[in-house]
Amino acid sequence: MKTTAFTKTYNRRVVLYLPELELPKGKITAVIGPNGSGKSTFAKILAGIERSDEKKPILSGVKVGYLPQKSFPFRMSTEKNILQNGNDPARARELMHALGIEALAGQSAKKLSGGETARMALCRILMSRYDLLILDEPTTAMDMESTLAAEKLIRNICREQDCALVLITHSISQAKRISDRVLVLQRGELIEQGDVQKVLLTPRSEETRRFLDFYGL
Amino acid sequence: MGSSIQKAIELILSADPELLNILATTARVCLTSSILALVIGVPLGILFGAERFPGRRVLLVLNRTLIGMPPVVCGLLFYMLFSGVGPFRHLHLLFTVKLMILAQVVLITPIIIGIMETFVADTAPALRETARGLGFGRIKEYRLLINECLYSIFSAYLLSFARAIAEVGAVAMVGGAIAWKTNVMTTAIMMYTNRGSFTLGIALGLILLTLSLLVNVVLSLMQGRLSR
Repeated sequence: MKTTAFTKTYNRRVVLYLPELELPKGKITAVIGPNGSGKSTFAKILAGIERSDEKKPILSGVKVGYLPQKSFPFRMSTEKNILQNGNDPARARELMHALGIEALAGQSAKKLSGGETARMALCRILMSRYDLLILDEPTTAMDMESTLAAEKLIRNICREQDCALVLITHSISQAKRISDRVLVLQRGELIEQGDVQKVLLTPRSEETRRFLDFYGL
Repeated sequence: MGSSIQKAIELILSADPELLNILATTARVCLTSSILALVIGVPLGILFGAERFPGRRVLLVLNRTLIGMPPVVCGLLFYMLFSGVGPFRHLHLLFTVKLMILAQVVLITPIIIGIMETFVADTAPALRETARGLGFGRIKEYRLLINECLYSIFSAYLLSFARAIAEVGAVAMVGGAIAWKTNVMTTAIMMYTNRGSFTLGIALGLILLTLSLLVNVVLSLMQGRLSR
């Protein structure tokens, strides 16, 4: 699927300008870049939560799922939270098991820790099928073991459901582990895109090289 | 003092008919007004907190002004509107329980709107982002928002009931504190104290304090349960 080019301005300052982008089905596209590069704004505009300056969706005719950076736990049990996005208890149990939170099924979601809330939120968004799934830093609050389990689940679902998956991450190693393609943003502009191994190992742009050097890659 | 309190307790235990009449009038006025205020205030509070529309800020400022309105000013306003020279004199509502209820609704609805608006304005953006991300429609989004608000609705109701039961200025002006008709606990305390008859006043004061304590105990108990 293809997005249209768009611009986003805050207080007369252009914070994001992106050209037409290709988001292939069945592939994970990681979006990386330093803080303030426009990754989350891109995710929100792509999801239709925020509008671009053009005042029209940059994608049309596709079912989009979006997991925000801080997903909201509804005032009910963990399992009921997950079932809000699809009444399939067996599937909910399967997802909870995959992320190691089945023991928390009956517990109030408001009482979960940051990492547990992140796992619950990931299970909840994965209950439905989407054409495009946008995950904004889904594993930031998780420990390494949960992160690896979440990455495995994300990768499997992307392949099985043949959906285009956009993963916003500040972790370059995560992008390297699970994504197929990568978009590098800096100061609101796309500075490089392509196959993840190619971009991370042999970046064409000087800015990407400096950004990767900073992370010791 | 000690003997007055003892007499007051005896009066309560003896189920004095005048005391019971005052309690019944108070319950009718306060329960009806607080329920009406809840029915009006909760949807408006949620709307002001969750939505952005032209004139919202002006309405919020107006609501905050009404929260601080002295009850006697409210009473004066209703007195002028419904007295023999007022535009609504033909309704013959002055010195009736109905007008007391109406005055209290005007006094306590802004409190409920204020409590709901503050809570919803704080909660709605994050909830909405998550709900929209999941692809939920507006109805489901609002259903989830109301579910988040249960404790706020409950505490707003109890606080507005507490305000209604403790209020004296407006009900005294529009009700006239007529014995066996419009006399409520607060106006009766004033009336009997002015007459130098402290026993009934103390009995009513004790009941009011007990009710206030009960409201706070219930609020504390429900806080843990509903915030889960």
